[in-house]
Amino acid sequence: MYQTLLQYLKRYDFSFLGSFFAIFLVGVLNLYSATHSQSHEGLDMLYRSQIIWWLLASVVAVVVSVVFNPKTFERVSYFVYGVTFFLLILVMVMGDVGMGAQRWLQLGPIRMQPSEFMKLGLAMALARYFARVQPEKELSFRDLLLPGIIAGVPAIMVIIQPDLGTGMLLLLIFAMMIFYKRLKWRTIATLVIGALVAGVLMYNFGLREYQRKRIHTFIDPYADAKGSGYNAIQSEIAIGSGRLFGKGFKNSSQASLQYLPENHTDFVFAIFNEEHGFFGSVFLVVLYLIMFMRLIWLASSVQRFYDSVLVVGIMAIFFWHTFVNMSMVSGLMPIVGIPLPMMSYGGSAMLTYGVCIGMVTAISNSRNFFN
Amino acid sequence: MFGEEELVKVHKTRAGMIGNIVFAAFGLILARLWYLQVYKGEQLHQFSIQNRLRKEVVWAPRGMIHSRDDQLLVDNIPRYDAILTPQYLLEKEETLEKLHKILMMEPGSIEKLLKKNQNQATYRPITIKKNIGFDELAQIESLNAELPGVSVQTFISREYKDKEVGAHLLGYISEISQQQLPKFRKRDAMDYRLGDFIGQFGIEEQLDKFLRGANGHEFVEVDSRGRRKRYINTDNLFKGIEDEKPNQGMNVKLTIDRDMQMAGYAALEGKVGSIIALDIESGEVLAMVSRPAFDPSQFSRGLTPEYWRSLITNTENPLRDRNIQEHYSPGSTFKAITGISAFEEGVIDENTEVFCNGNLRFGRKVYHCWKREGHGATSITKAIRESCNVYFQRAAMKMSIDTIAKYATMFGLGKRTGISLPREVSGLIPTEAWKQKRYGQVWQPGETLSCAIGQSYVLASTIQMAQAYGAIANGGKIYRPYVVKDIYTPKGDLIKTFTPELLSDFKLKNEKTLKYVREGLFQVVNNPKGTAFYRRGKGIQMAGKTGTSQVVRATADKVYQKCEQMDYDYRHHGVFVGFAPYDNPKIAAAALVEHGCHGSSAATPVVEAVVTAYMQKYHPESYLQNLEKDKEIHTQWVKTLKAPAAPAEE
Repeated sequence: MYQTLLQYLKRYDFSFLGSFFAIFLVGVLNLYSATHSQSHEGLDMLYRSQIIWWLLASVVAVVVSVVFNPKTFERVSYFVYGVTFFLLILVMVMGDVGMGAQRWLQLGPIRMQPSEFMKLGLAMALARYFARVQPEKELSFRDLLLPGIIAGVPAIMVIIQPDLGTGMLLLLIFAMMIFYKRLKWRTIATLVIGALVAGVLMYNFGLREYQRKRIHTFIDPYADAKGSGYNAIQSEIAIGSGRLFGKGFKNSSQASLQYLPENHTDFVFAIFNEEHGFFGSVFLVVLYLIMFMRLIWLASSVQRFYDSVLVVGIMAIFFWHTFVNMSMVSGLMPIVGIPLPMMSYGGSAMLTYGVCIGMVTAISNSRNFFN
Repeated sequence: MFGEEELVKVHKTRAGMIGNIVFAAFGLILARLWYLQVYKGEQLHQFSIQNRLRKEVVWAPRGMIHSRDDQLLVDNIPRYDAILTPQYLLEKEETLEKLHKILMMEPGSIEKLLKKNQNQATYRPITIKKNIGFDELAQIESLNAELPGVSVQTFISREYKDKEVGAHLLGYISEISQQQLPKFRKRDAMDYRLGDFIGQFGIEEQLDKFLRGANGHEFVEVDSRGRRKRYINTDNLFKGIEDEKPNQGMNVKLTIDRDMQMAGYAALEGKVGSIIALDIESGEVLAMVSRPAFDPSQFSRGLTPEYWRSLITNTENPLRDRNIQEHYSPGSTFKAITGISAFEEGVIDENTEVFCNGNLRFGRKVYHCWKREGHGATSITKAIRESCNVYFQRAAMKMSIDTIAKYATMFGLGKRTGISLPREVSGLIPTEAWKQKRYGQVWQPGETLSCAIGQSYVLASTIQMAQAYGAIANGGKIYRPYVVKDIYTPKGDLIKTFTPELLSDFKLKNEKTLKYVREGLFQVVNNPKGTAFYRRGKGIQMAGKTGTSQVVRATADKVYQKCEQMDYDYRHHGVFVGFAPYDNPKIAAAALVEHGCHGSSAATPVVEAVVTAYMQKYHPESYLQNLEKDKEIHTQWVKTLKAPAAPAEE
C-alpha cells in the first residue's frame, strides 16, 4: 500500500501545480501590496479571499488529477460544453448586472461568471471534435463550419453581455486550436484578410460607443488623457516609473494614491512592474514561460490525440490571458477587461485555472503510468 | 488512417510553431517593458513623483426643499475644512506653529490629532478644523507656500433654514458608515463609497434619489508636496481635458406651510410633544412639528461627538418623530369614535340620557368618572362636551369591543396611514381575536369599558387621530396623508406632482350620527361648559375633543389627585384633536403634550396656534367673520355668567 502510494507520488507530475503555486504566490503578495492601503474601500482584505480561492482551486486541481482519467474528459467534453452554454443562457435571462454588463449569475449563495467556465468548455468541445472527426485531415474552410459554430455562438453571446474582451478571448483560443489542428496556410491567409475586412466593418457598424472609444484611446491615449485615456496613461506611468529595479514592495505610489482603477484585477501587472521594475517583470514572465513551454512539450508527448489538442487548448487559455493582459497594461493593446491568470483577484477564474491544472496533470500522469 | 500516436507526431511541427509564437509574444512584451522602464523610465518616474494628476469627485449640490408657500426650508452652502496631509508635512514644528495661530487652536492640539491618526496611511489627509471662516481660508490660501501639506477642502453643507423646526419631517443627511455601506449599496444598486452623504431620515431619506443629483469629477494636479492646484497644461502629457460637471439634485416643494410650522414650534416651546395638521379635503400635511428636536445641519457638517451624545442620552429622545413614530393612548379623544359606534349600532340616539353619579359599578370593579360629583343627566352632546366617562362606558356595555374596533378601523385607526415617511407606527385597536392571539387570554368585558374611553390597549398616533377627525369633519373620506407636493428640476421644470389619494369613502348608516357628534365636538370648544372653552382661541370656530392619556393606571386613591402634584414621569399626557372651521371644515389637527396633565391646558393651545395661523393665512374672510361670531359667544357667556366657576379641566 505504502509502496504503491510512493510509486504513485514518484510518477505524479507536480510541475503544473508548482507553476500554479509559484505564480499565485507572486500574485497574492502583489495583491496585498496593491490593496493594503485601501481599507476604506474594504479591499485590503481581498488577499485573504484570494488565498481561500487558491486553496480551493488547488484542491480541485488535485482531485481532478487523481480521480479522473483523461478518457473521462473526452467522454464528458460535450456535456461540460453544454452545461456552460446553458449557464451563459441563464446569465442572459436572469444575470446580475455588475459594472454595466450582465456577466454574473447568482445561484443561491454562489456568484459566478459563466463566461469564465466557457473557456474550458470550449477547449474541451473542440478537442473532442478534432480528435473524432477526420483527425488526420488538414483543415480547410469547409472543415471550419461546425467548430466555428461551437466557438462563435458562445463568443457572440459573451460579446453582447457586453464583454468584448472575454468574447475575443474565446475566438483567440479557437484560433490557436485550429492552427494546431493544421489549418492550411492558404486558409490562414484568407482568414487574416477576411478578419481585417470584418474588423473595419465591425468598427464602423458593430461596436458600441465606449468600445470604439477604447480603440481611439489605444491609438492615441494622450488625446483624451483625463477621459478614457486616463487609465492607459496612469498604467504606463506606473510601469515606467518602476525603472530597472522598481520602487520596492508596498511602495507603489500610483496604487496607493489610487490613480489606477481596478488595482486588484486588470491592473495588477502595472503595480507589480512599478514595485519590482524590469528585472521583476522578467522574472514573472519567465515563470509564465516555463509553464507554457511545459504545456507545449506535453501536447507533443502524449499518446492520445484528444489529450494533445486539449492541452493546446488549455495552454491557449493561459497564454492569451497573460499576453492580452500584459499587452493592454503596457499599452500594446487597447484596454479590455482581461485579468492576469493567478495574479488578478477573481474566484471564478481561479477555479477554472484549478480545473485546467488538474486536467493537464492528469493527462501528464496517464502518460507516465501507461508507458 | 493514422494511429493515435502518429497523429500527435504529425502535429509536432505545429506545436513547435506555437512555442515560437509564445516566445515571440513575450519577447514583444519584454521589449515594451524595456522601452517603458529603461528607455522612458526616468521620464515616467519623474511624472510619478512630481506630476500627480488625480481624478476627484465634485459633489453634486442636493436639491433644495421649499414649503408650500414657497419659502426656502433647506439650502446648500459651501463649507471649508482645513486639512493636513502628513506625507507632505515639512518643517513640522514651524508649520504647525503657524497653523495653530491661523486657526486659533490651542498649541499642541494638532500634534494630538496627528498622533491619533498616525496609524493610517500618510498620504491620507487629516481634517484639522472643520468649517473654518473666510479669513482663515484666505490666510491658508495666501500662505500656501509656507504651509507644506496644508490645504483647504470644500464641501457643500446642507443648511436647514429654521434649524430645529420640522427637523423630523425634513430629516438629515450624513455620511454612510462602514456598517451601512453594504446595505445601501444593495438597496440602491449604487456604488457608494465611504464618505458619501446620503439621506438618513425624513424627507431627505424618502426622496434621496431625487434630491441627490449626480456627482461629477474634476482633475487636479497634486505637486510633490501634496498641494493641489487646478489643472494647468504644463506639459503635453495631458491635453484635451474635460471635467464632468455635477448635476444638481431635484428641488422639492412640500405641502407644509412654513408659518404654521413656526406657530406649532413656538406653541410647543418648553413642552415635549407634537402637532400635526392635515388638509381634510386632500390629506396634505400642512404642519408637522415634534419637540424636542435636533439641528439637522449638524449632521451634514459631520456630527461632533458631544452633540451626538447629547442627542442619544436625552431621555426625551429628540430623534423620534412623535407624530408618526410614537403612539399613545388617545384618551377621551377616542370617545368620538365610541359615540359614533353607539349611534350607528342603535345603542343610543340623540334623546338617550344617562345619569352619571360620578362612578360606574361593573362586575366587581368601580369605574370613576373624572368628575367626582358626576355629570347628572347626560345626553350625547353633553357627554362629548363635558367628556363624561360613564355615558360612554354605559354605551360600551351594550356593544362588543369588535364593534367599536370596526368603526375605529373605518376611521383609519389601528393601521398605518401610509404617509410617505419612514418608520411609521401603526397604533393599536384591540379586538377579541387580537387579545387571544397576543396574550392567549379571553377578552374581559370590563376591558371594553376602558377601551371605550381610549385607555387600556387602545393606541393611536397623532397623525391617525387627525386623520380620523378629518373624516368626522368631511363625512367619511380618508385620504392618505402626504408631505411632498411637487418635484422640480433645478431649472424649474415640473417632473412629478403628487395628487390626493382617497383611501376610503364610507357613508354612515344613520345621518344623525355625525351631526350630533360634531355638535358635541363644537360645544367642547364653544360652549362655556365645554372642556376646552377657556382655550378656544379667536376667529377659528374650532370643534374638537380634549383627552388625557394615562401614563400609569391610576390607583383608587390617586384617581382624584391633582396631576400637577405627581412626579413628572407619572403625569398624564394631554391630547387635543379637532377640526375647523365648524360650518365648513378645512383642516384637522392633533396635538399631544407628554406629561402635560390636561388636554385643554397643554395640547389645545398648540392646535389653536396652528389653526389660527392657517385661518389667518388661507381663509382671512372666514377668519374675520368668525371673530364676530366669537364676540357673540363671548357676550352670551358673560351675560349668563354670575360668578365665574373654576375652569373645568380634563
